[in-house]
Amino acid sequence: MVHQDVLDRSFAALADSTRRGILARLGDGPATVGELALPTGMTLTGLTKHVRVLEDAGLVITTKVGRSRQCRLGTERLDEAMQWITLYQGLWERRLDGLEAYLTLEKGQNNDE
Amino acid sequence: MTNDTDTLSLTMSRQLPATPEVVFDAYTDAEKQKIWFGILDTEPGIVEIDVDLRVGGEQTAKWGPNRDELFVETQVFREIDRPHRLVTTSTGSTPDGMTMTTEISITFEANDGGTLMTVTQSGFPNVELRDFFTQHAWVGAFDRIEAYLAR
Repeated sequence: MVHQDVLDRSFAALADSTRRGILARLGDGPATVGELALPTGMTLTGLTKHVRVLEDAGLVITTKVGRSRQCRLGTERLDEAMQWITLYQGLWERRLDGLEAYLTLEKGQNNDE
Repeated sequence: MTNDTDTLSLTMSRQLPATPEVVFDAYTDAEKQKIWFGILDTEPGIVEIDVDLRVGGEQTAKWGPNRDELFVETQVFREIDRPHRLVTTSTGSTPDGMTMTTEISITFEANDGGTLMTVTQSGFPNVELRDFFTQHAWVGAFDRIEAYLAR
């Protein structure tokens, strides 16, 4: 199951506060590895390792620009995970709304009799 | 979404205008489900529901705008305590072939002349993910969720 593997990797990559911080920062726009390292106090090498985990999980896309590496969000994989939650939220809303409408209708009919 | 400690979960409650027995039966009966599942749909779509209400039995719901875009949810009944509680394992499949298995627990409590129905779905893979989404107002992702829910 390819999709489950992808999800597992996405969730594993997210199970680290430094990496979630990187994603939050990239939510504001692309940044170089140097720019990402600066506020964390980490070395470029240390930060590059985290970026690589995110890149393997498909959450970040990097491109070489001159001597530095530019990073941006690759959100397709994360969207996949979020789709499940929103899908089920929509399903339950549909079920509860439908059940409520049905029971209200039934109650009205019984009262009319 | 609520504060489960070790798993990503979804909880929703609704006050319904009938006794727990009536709500439980309306919720689990295949013929009744077919009526209420699409009762509020403004555009005609596909709704197919099969129910084998016994422990180990399956309930399959298929729904979508057309045959090519069907979502399928198969639930296996784990615990049936009419009219108080229902526990199932749910496997959902999207039209593009993604699948995921989670656990669903539903309680039906007599409340204020009606029933408070509470659904908890748990087992989404990771608590950090939930915290990430609740703590960071990640504009792009939330916009997409909104668009997804609105479509």
